Amino acid sequence: MLKNYFIIAIAVLKRRKFFTFISLFGISFTLTILMVVTAFINHVISPDYPEINRSKSLYVAFLRQENTKEGWANQSPGSYYYFDHYVNKMKTPDKVAISTLFAASNTYVNNKKILVNLKYTNADYWKVLEYHFSEGKAFGEREIGNSEKVAVISEQTKEQYFGKDVNAVGKYIETDNIQYRVVGVVQNVPMTMPYIYADMYLPYTVSKAGYQSTELTGNYIGILMAKSESDVPKMAQEYEALVPKVSPLNKGFDVLETQADPYLATFTRQMMGSNNDSGVASFVLIVSLLALLFMLLPTLNLININISRIMERSSEIGVRKAFGASASTLVYQFIVENVIFTFIGGAIGVLLSYIAISTINSSNLIEHAQLKMDTNVLIISFFACLVFGLLSGVYPAWRMSKLHVVNALKAS
Amino acid sequence: MLTHLFKLIWNKKKQNFLMITEMFVSFLVIFAVFSMLVYKYNNYKVPVGFDFKDVWVVNYNDAIKPVDADSVALYMNNIRQSLKSLPGVVDVSFASGNVPFSFNTNNTELNNNGKKYRSNIFTVEANYASLFKNKMIEGRWYDKSDIPAKPFPIVINQTLKREIFGNENALGKTIIQDKEKLKIIGVVADMKDRGEYETPEAGYFNLADTGAYKWNSTILVRVQPDVDAAFEAKLFKTLNNVIYNANIEIEHFDDKEERKNKISLVPLIILVVVAGFLIINVALGLFGVLWYNISKRRGEIGLRRAIGASGNMIAKQLIAEALILSTLSLLLGSFFAIQFPLMNVFDMPSQVYYTAMLLAIIFIYLLVLVCALYPGKQAAAIMPAVALHED
Repeated sequence: MLKNYFIIAIAVLKRRKFFTFISLFGISFTLTILMVVTAFINHVISPDYPEINRSKSLYVAFLRQENTKEGWANQSPGSYYYFDHYVNKMKTPDKVAISTLFAASNTYVNNKKILVNLKYTNADYWKVLEYHFSEGKAFGEREIGNSEKVAVISEQTKEQYFGKDVNAVGKYIETDNIQYRVVGVVQNVPMTMPYIYADMYLPYTVSKAGYQSTELTGNYIGILMAKSESDVPKMAQEYEALVPKVSPLNKGFDVLETQADPYLATFTRQMMGSNNDSGVASFVLIVSLLALLFMLLPTLNLININISRIMERSSEIGVRKAFGASASTLVYQFIVENVIFTFIGGAIGVLLSYIAISTINSSNLIEHAQLKMDTNVLIISFFACLVFGLLSGVYPAWRMSKLHVVNALKAS
Repeated sequence: MLTHLFKLIWNKKKQNFLMITEMFVSFLVIFAVFSMLVYKYNNYKVPVGFDFKDVWVVNYNDAIKPVDADSVALYMNNIRQSLKSLPGVVDVSFASGNVPFSFNTNNTELNNNGKKYRSNIFTVEANYASLFKNKMIEGRWYDKSDIPAKPFPIVINQTLKREIFGNENALGKTIIQDKEKLKIIGVVADMKDRGEYETPEAGYFNLADTGAYKWNSTILVRVQPDVDAAFEAKLFKTLNNVIYNANIEIEHFDDKEERKNKISLVPLIILVVVAGFLIINVALGLFGVLWYNISKRRGEIGLRRAIGASGNMIAKQLIAEALILSTLSLLLGSFFAIQFPLMNVFDMPSQVYYTAMLLAIIFIYLLVLVCALYPGKQAAAIMPAVALHED
């Protein structure tokens, strides 16, 4: 039966070329735009080099302290002391990466300015994040313990500072008037990974901000990596249990609120969540609503065209009805046809998005980022196709099934 | 004639209902896009209000400064003198971190006779206005005598003046910020400090006292227009020698502005591209449906021709039908669109919405007209004998 519908759908496709073009154009472009957006969101939130352990990690991006009597609050990343003294003593995390948020600095080579974003890290940082080293290796406990002035730099910085085809390891790079010895060169990281992006990584013991301060707030964020994904809920619980035990708080505050969140939640909580709500649900809801809203106009357009096409087929419908086909059979047939149609448009859409994504990647629109059409994107576009096909097929099919046999046959 | 057209439309209400819905949604989309475009264009037309060419900003953090206020003042003065002694530096001024085109904001609440206003607060030095070449609208900028004065003298910008005082005189009035009395001594022209396509926000300037130096991490430097590439490296070295132990970054204001402009323009470009695609889609759809309708109405058109209607009249009738349909959807759309200025959603001036509505209406009419022209012409070419014979 399905095979029959397929043959009919192809025959209909060939009938009115202009209408076919309009429908396919609408379907494929709508899906292209949806897919590129999905690929971008996918790039931003799913694990990728070097943050491939995102699914077994939790992030502590900020602490919020409140003075409940007078109603002020202060929100800021944590201090090194906080992570070392409290978070590092937790049992479930396998490793805790502690690092500062990146901060800009300049260096000059032959009077050319180079922007270098600095990040100070601990030794476990290099185990939680799996950077690819094109040269050398990371610094470890020994270098950190000795406060050695060593640096891991990105390939881009290496190229700008030392040149393309030279080894950088063992050489010195200068910024803020200090010479750092390069120990490793890592592949570039896009700025869409704000927690780990930097051009130059340095041991936290050489950081200029005092890491010894025993205030709770500072400039550090923590990535807590569990041994396995199944340990993550336990880790979140342990962190929650830890928070009330933190004392003393900074002067003037009496309540501390902080969460160890999965990656996406660290952003959604700040944008649309609260202390008790991670905001992920609202985020998904808003994104889905926007996608539906965007699909509204192409869907209406497709419905309009489908109705015109159906009316053209009234003789066929009349004959089938006269020979005893029930309304539901006809509705079913038409919806299947329309879904087949949408999938042909979808296939063109996949091709177009592939071209669009390659263009975006090669134009370096988002520096160092590589958008990908992976299974996630394809699955989502498959469902978008299905929803689109059903939405635009149901109403015309219903209209068709209501046609009277006599009228339908007479119309031709 | 018109009632007859309505009757024709009514007879095919199911099909036409869908067409109206489609045009209605298109109108809303176009209205949204035009609102954005008109808003950004209006902002673009407003003068920038200050001159940031050849002005650089130095951000430094984690500097270890002396503890007591007098030593800090000495320390900062040392920075100023060392920078000023560099050939190529015109002027140096310390400012709070919320400099133009930065991502920092610093807000406060002002109180005027019980009414509350939100305002940006910029902490600057007396030479800020000459460094940025700000224009005074009324009154005067600070001079050295202002530092110990009570009540605290402030200079407000045009937007803040408009929000609090409207057309009244603002000079000499006092407003209250956190129990502190502030006396307005001048009104300065708005600085478009959030980018060329954004509206300036309400704000006021207060004069930095010695206490502010402790927390300062931003230095504004105006340089000669003809400084060479080596100059910046030299400036950086000098800074490194006077601000010990800090991370230092030099940025140029024209780069910062460009980055801010990009942030306002990129979403706009994406919006226009997506809307453009939707409109092409709708246009093709409308065109197809109108064309198809004509081929279905050959009998009717043939009959009209036979009883004496000219080809032109047929074309006009079909175009008029399409335009009536769009008028219906535009009426519906305008009803929803007019809620935006009436209920003041999104805080944009209502003139923006009205202009956008007008443009969107014209756009939809043009779109429908273009889509109906060719099918109308086709219909005009129908020969009565042929069409009637088919039936």
